[in-house]
Amino acid sequence: MISRTLKHVVLALIVFIWVVPFVALVTTSLRSDVASKTSGFWTAFTPTELGHRFGTHDKGDDTAFLVMKGNIFERLNKDKDSYKVDGSIKSIMFKGRVPDPENEGKTKLIRKLVPVNEAMDVRGGEFIFQSNGDFVWTFETESAPKPKNLDVFIDQDPVFGLDAYAEVLFANKNVPNALISSFIVTIPATIIPITIAAFAAYAFAWMSFPGRDWLFVIVVSLMVVPTQLAFLPVLQGFSGVASWATSLNAMLTDCESTQTCQVASKSFASLWVTHTAFGLPLAIYLLRNYIVGLPRELLESARIDGANHLQIFTRLIVPLSVPALASFSIFQFLWVWNDLIVALYIGPSDASDLVFPIRLQKQLGTFKDQLHLLNASAVISIIVPVIVFLSMQKYFIRGLLAGSVKGG
Amino acid sequence: MRSIKPIIASNSLAIVLTIVLLLPITAIVAYIITSPLDGLMAKFGTWLHESRDWEFSVFDTQERFAKIGFAIRSIFIAVGISFLYFGVSNWLNMGLARVSSKNSEGRQSTIVEAIQPWIFVGPALVLLFLFLLVPALSTLSLSFQEADGARTSRNYAFLWDPAALGYEQFRYAMRNSLMWLILVPTACISLGLLIAVLADSVKWGIIAKTLIFVPLAISFVGAAVIWRNIFAGGGIQPQEAINGVTPSYQIGLLKSLLGHTAAYNEPLYSLQFWGNFFLMWILVWVQTGFAMVIFSAALRGVPEDTIEAATIDGANPFQMFFRIKLPQIYSTVLVVWTTLVILVLKVFDIPYALSANDDDKLLLATMMENARNNWSVGGDNVDNLFAAIAVMLMLTVVPNMIFNAWRIRREQKDMGH
Repeated sequence: MISRTLKHVVLALIVFIWVVPFVALVTTSLRSDVASKTSGFWTAFTPTELGHRFGTHDKGDDTAFLVMKGNIFERLNKDKDSYKVDGSIKSIMFKGRVPDPENEGKTKLIRKLVPVNEAMDVRGGEFIFQSNGDFVWTFETESAPKPKNLDVFIDQDPVFGLDAYAEVLFANKNVPNALISSFIVTIPATIIPITIAAFAAYAFAWMSFPGRDWLFVIVVSLMVVPTQLAFLPVLQGFSGVASWATSLNAMLTDCESTQTCQVASKSFASLWVTHTAFGLPLAIYLLRNYIVGLPRELLESARIDGANHLQIFTRLIVPLSVPALASFSIFQFLWVWNDLIVALYIGPSDASDLVFPIRLQKQLGTFKDQLHLLNASAVISIIVPVIVFLSMQKYFIRGLLAGSVKGG
Repeated sequence: MRSIKPIIASNSLAIVLTIVLLLPITAIVAYIITSPLDGLMAKFGTWLHESRDWEFSVFDTQERFAKIGFAIRSIFIAVGISFLYFGVSNWLNMGLARVSSKNSEGRQSTIVEAIQPWIFVGPALVLLFLFLLVPALSTLSLSFQEADGARTSRNYAFLWDPAALGYEQFRYAMRNSLMWLILVPTACISLGLLIAVLADSVKWGIIAKTLIFVPLAISFVGAAVIWRNIFAGGGIQPQEAINGVTPSYQIGLLKSLLGHTAAYNEPLYSLQFWGNFFLMWILVWVQTGFAMVIFSAALRGVPEDTIEAATIDGANPFQMFFRIKLPQIYSTVLVVWTTLVILVLKVFDIPYALSANDDDKLLLATMMENARNNWSVGGDNVDNLFAAIAVMLMLTVVPNMIFNAWRIRREQKDMGH
């Protein structure tokens, strides 16, 4: 029986390793700015010691007093709608001058952690705090000190919020733009190749024309050509087309007055066409293998009934090929949505038109100190493909198996 | 009967010309006609903004809604044009055949059927020709040219000349590619097999498999961000650096487990040499699901009688797996292996996202990007150098290409075509 237990344990361990990064991602995205950059995500679920900074009272509030009573948590949460700090206070960082024991009459600068209930000198007054946040600040003579910012360490209770999502989706322009751009790129770059490939696959499977088999072998062998090999000439081609379009634009419209004649060589359209071309070999291969397997009698009887190829294709083949079409569309959708390199070389370079993977790659730099934002942005970029993937998993697996196992 | 070849030729020409003229003009006209949509969407956005009392600026809302408008019409136009092609060309083909066949049904269908296959495969062939075949060949020729077009082999100098641009980098890239090539497929395949076997023997296997499968849907950059939480670390200390008296926070899980303090800020994937293995692991995490799914299906296809026979002969689970099941799915393992090898050779996103400018982590694909971005000071032949590295990348894929072609040919034979 030991091997049965071992099976469960090993599998559970592997699953655990696979899932932890997701937990890290989601947890970090739900934490506050301070929490995400000062403590690990695994500390988010239990009370954890975290540093905060609070002001003793509001700026400009200069009423004189002998004793000021207040609460650290109230001060901390004053302007907060979310991530309200709660827990128990551990210590306050004291930074200041104290009499130097070695040099009589001199002071020295020290920094030390002052625990609960121990008095410390703040702006000449005596400052004592409790673990529930209450503090008392006492002066010998009535005075109106300036507010003092203190660093406090708190055993903080877990707190989560959606602020990071609100910030990247609404306050930040880049993420919504990337989301829209990714949709602009992905939807046509999925539908166009599947349309073109379905027609081609049908022709390769059921129509006779000279050179059919040779052409098919060439198309399929293009499947393994690294796309990097094509980037430079394709780019040159597009800039040729763009300069041609620019002069056409100048000829036909009055764009010169507004200086808007320039047609960009790297655009959404160039990405659609390039993704379409790069996706075609696999699409044709998968679809042709599927269509060739459909019962021959069905097609022949349709021919006898007088249907032409177009009718057979639209009325018979397309409805019958839905599983194969679905599995390729998922492949292509995921591939285009997740693609970085083609978009980097061929896609629009305007900051507002960048697709999500490029934006995310840039955010690895710009958000490196705002991990909650980085992770929230990553969650948003991941959620679309994961939903598509999970809801159409069956077709995806079928496509994988058709592409790799058949005939193996 | 007069030959119908000239008719076919003239009909084809007419169709090609119509398409070449019609599609771009339709696209441009469609874009011009639909352009007010952006403004309408912007107005709708403004209205929504005001009625919902959104906090951020109205300008942002307008911009965003205008972009959504652009997105909608772009999608419809792009997809519409591709449908228009098939509609118009087929309609033209039949119409022209009817006109030119002089009411002979036989001739009409002969003409239609001679042209129709090319209408069906035409766009695919043209696109593949223009975007893969020709560019690949022209990259090859570019790689043997100077910037001014003269023939040279100078672009490949990094192969033999220690003074050449990219000599060092190429050696790093080859060393790393070799490590990736051996370790990543091996790890994916062994883990995939292990998980497939384990998951098929426990009740909650389907959940385990789904969870391990999900990373396959995620972009490599997304995976890099995800693993950054585990591998990177340091962590900014609270408010400001405080010497040793406060707890020092380590925000990277693995770094924390390894006992790194917050002061030690270097991400694990930036370590000299060893960093490569952390980058590789990210790819293994993404791709193991792929191996697992295929092995799981293949293992289920192993004939029952061989398993029963082995059970009767008293095989233990290990013998059962290594002696009975594994040999029967050997060809599937090989297929997965070649797929992963091609993927690994082309891998770009992960090292690019996490350690773009570190020579120690270079792979051929990232070396290409470096050549284009960072080496421009080195000469005017950056593009040609880029092409040369692309050709090297191609060469590493060739053995697999040959294997794949052989496999597909055999497959076609098996299917009787």
